[in-house]
Amino acid sequence: MHDDDGMDRLLRDAMAAGAPRLSPAFDARVMRRVRPRRLTPAGRATIAVYAVAAAAAAVWLMRGLPLESIVAAAAIGGLAAAGASAYVRRLAVGR
Amino acid sequence: MIAEPSLYTDRADEWLVERCRESADEAAFAELVRRYRGPVFRLAVSVLGQEFAPEAEDVAQDVMLRVHHALRSFRGEARFASWIYRIAFNQALNVKARARYRAPHVSDQALAATPSQDRGPHDRLQDEQRKQAVLACVGELPEVYQSALRLHYWLGAGVSEIAVLLDAPENTVKSYLHRARRLLSAQLAERGFDAR
Repeated sequence: MHDDDGMDRLLRDAMAAGAPRLSPAFDARVMRRVRPRRLTPAGRATIAVYAVAAAAAAVWLMRGLPLESIVAAAAIGGLAAAGASAYVRRLAVGR
Repeated sequence: MIAEPSLYTDRADEWLVERCRESADEAAFAELVRRYRGPVFRLAVSVLGQEFAPEAEDVAQDVMLRVHHALRSFRGEARFASWIYRIAFNQALNVKARARYRAPHVSDQALAATPSQDRGPHDRLQDEQRKQAVLACVGELPEVYQSALRLHYWLGAGVSEIAVLLDAPENTVKSYLHRARRLLSAQLAERGFDAR
């Protein structure tokens, strides 16, 4: 018991430094990180223009190909685009 | 529509979690952050220790982001508090394991410095050496003992608060503290210090 009391005093003494505190901006920082990021109207317009241009270019480039090749290219391209989009989204939320 | 966080102060955790899950209510999550930021930070600090205390805020932030991400899969089998504290404890352990490979930001000596003014330089030096030995020995104890000791002696937490944070009965926490002191005493004796 005496030993336990001595250890108790020693621990109080050794850990007498002030406890660290959370910064006042903590809540704001967390809420900013969890808030969904939305594209600006200009960003949405840019993506729409790019999508239309890409689709038009693809149709023009594949105009002489057989239907099976067009379907295969569309499937591969669609999957790649979905994967890239998911990856960029994860990067955007920091996970 | 986003309500002010203050509107939710009297709501139970389960209600807030449900609001977050069903309607992605930002104010409900803000209220959960307001409630748990302090305890999560203290728990992280207690795991990381004095050397890596600056990392504790990053751990607390990461825990909040993880919780936000995982709320959809939270089924309520455990209490929300137990769930978030378990995430915090594990996350802090991971960060501590990584941080050990780097040099500490601030030395133990600087953090533990509380000079005794009415004693001679020899006594002060001995005290200082003993404090360093105590802190070094604490760092060698099992993680849960380290956490309990730091919460109690450094952060001033009572047994009931430690019990909540470590998700253990109060008697178990008392036993952790007792056993940790016994182990420390033995370790100090091995290093040639007595626990007076």
